[in-house]
Amino acid sequence: MKNGLPLLPALNVEFFGAALAILLSFVALWYAWRLVKLQPNNFIWGFLFYFCIAMAAFSLSRGVGHMVRIILVLAGEGDTWSTLSPFSGGFNTMLMISAAAVTIYYHKGLAAFRALGGEAEKLSDANTQLAATANELQRLNSHLEDMVAERTRNLSKSEKKLRNFIENSKDIIYFCDQSGDITSINSSGREMLGIDPAQAAINFPSLFVREEDKKEYLTALQENGFVSDIEIECKAGAANIRYILLTASAVYDQDGVIIGCEGIGKDMTRLKRMTEHLINNEKMASVGQMAAGVAHEINTPLGIILGYTQLMMDDYDKDSESYANFEIMERQTRACRRIVADLLKFSRQSESAKTCIDVNRVIQEVLAVSEHTLNINNITVERSFMSELPLVIGDPEKLYQVFINLFNNAQDAMEDGGAIIITSGREQGTIVITVRDTGSGIAEDVKKRIFDPFYTTKDVGKGTGLGLSVTYGILQEHGGDIYVESPVCDPESGEMMQGSAFHIRLPECDPETEI
Amino acid sequence: MKRVYTYGGEVHMKSKCIVQLFIIVLIVGMAENCWALQSHGPPEGSYVHQMAHLLFSGALAYLFWHTRKRPALESKGWKYLQIFCVALICWNMLAFIGHEAYSFLQAEDFVNTDSLQGFIAPPVSFVKVLYYVTKMDHFLIVPALLALVVSLRIFYLEALREEDK
Repeated sequence: MKNGLPLLPALNVEFFGAALAILLSFVALWYAWRLVKLQPNNFIWGFLFYFCIAMAAFSLSRGVGHMVRIILVLAGEGDTWSTLSPFSGGFNTMLMISAAAVTIYYHKGLAAFRALGGEAEKLSDANTQLAATANELQRLNSHLEDMVAERTRNLSKSEKKLRNFIENSKDIIYFCDQSGDITSINSSGREMLGIDPAQAAINFPSLFVREEDKKEYLTALQENGFVSDIEIECKAGAANIRYILLTASAVYDQDGVIIGCEGIGKDMTRLKRMTEHLINNEKMASVGQMAAGVAHEINTPLGIILGYTQLMMDDYDKDSESYANFEIMERQTRACRRIVADLLKFSRQSESAKTCIDVNRVIQEVLAVSEHTLNINNITVERSFMSELPLVIGDPEKLYQVFINLFNNAQDAMEDGGAIIITSGREQGTIVITVRDTGSGIAEDVKKRIFDPFYTTKDVGKGTGLGLSVTYGILQEHGGDIYVESPVCDPESGEMMQGSAFHIRLPECDPETEI
Repeated sequence: MKRVYTYGGEVHMKSKCIVQLFIIVLIVGMAENCWALQSHGPPEGSYVHQMAHLLFSGALAYLFWHTRKRPALESKGWKYLQIFCVALICWNMLAFIGHEAYSFLQAEDFVNTDSLQGFIAPPVSFVKVLYYVTKMDHFLIVPALLALVVSLRIFYLEALREEDK
């Protein structure tokens, strides 16, 4: 320190530092240039590039100035340096200000760049969306036909599946318009209700037999929008009645106005008939048992009464009053025995001699005896027999009784005359005989009890109430069946006619099982 | 002259005309002490240079502040750029002090400067030591520029990776 401060270290640092500064500033400039080339739209890289230019120029000016100064001074050219020095200083000052200016303007430039970038981004997004939409539109356009075809195929497949389901259903599936006219119905429904496909629109509620059913159906649809599991009696074609368990829903338009209905109906006819039949059979079986017991118990005392009456008659003169009284007793006792015999027939306690017989012939033989009486009472008999009707197994005597009872009942129902129409035919392996009259018909409540023993609507003394019971018992014994229809539906016109029809079913005779 | 009507009306226009007239009279009527061109004396250059250092420092401080403020600028490159800013501000300050210190020294304080054995003449004073230290300013500017290089290299590599994606 006594010798002052040596300038050599400072000169070394100055010379090599200046060289390094020049080198580093140009390396920085090179990286900035590469950045700008790589991402020319990036404003920050642009700023850094210009900043690096300013820095490189400054470093170059300053570094070269320092180095030249050292070289010139050491070379003894201090005067030359004195000439150059102001230029070097001036350059340094100017370039520092330039670098500062570039930096200061960076802020505004960045803000502008960001604003432009934001707009450009929005535009780019909009363009991307537009391009995507255009592509989607083009794709849709080019695939529209394929898509339509595919969807049509799928729709057709689905529609076919649904149609098959509806068509193959064994239930009635129907669609009606606002007025109740059937617009569409499946084949089971057509078959069940006897609707001809070529027929004009049929009003579904008009097929209802009972007015109360119709009212309930229409009211429920109107008020609740649906009906659930209501049992209706429905006209099925010209002559038949179907019992249907119906569920239906109203169909509404956008304004909530009913524009129609759709429904499903299950045919309960067979089930209902079977149920009724079973109930009836059960009732008849119990009544028959009771009748058989009563008949057995009464038959013996009646025989004794009759025997003693006849013995006592022998003890009196035929012209005497006592004899006449005994005659009355004998007659009434015989009447009682007839009733007992009928009860036994009803309860199938009497013996039968069954064989294969022609029902047409049995009917003809009965008519040969009773037709004359019928004609006297202005009753005509119409025969519609099936030729070559298969034989049935039966006791001819008992079958005579069946038809006599039916003709007698028909006669009683037609006091002012009329017609008895007898038809025979074959249906599903059974023989069907129908005895129809044009009489007063049978009331609904009477129909249910018509086959009960001792049930009669005739005046006292005119009938015992055993005729149809006996008929029923005989047919049961023959493995057959009988049911009554009143009023009668005309098979041809489908109109309901006054009168009653008794439908008898008897099994065909199998020659191998002939008794 | 186009008349401009503003709030205040013609009174404002009149006062403006009077001021303009006064300036013209002042320039034309009292011209004997004015020169056509302003001359620049020797200290002006050094003043400008010193002001340039201060301006440059301010600009760098602004850059430092701006790059720190932005949360979007998360790259490590910005950290190095900030180091560059700080180092270069320090350098500017050092250079400023060096220039100021030099102005206190005389020509006799420098001995044999045209040879490698040159030195600053004793006695060693605070100003002389200060000047001597500021002569080592490259210990600041070189690391500062190195930080700039590193910063730009990081930016470049990141941009390269981004482009590769």
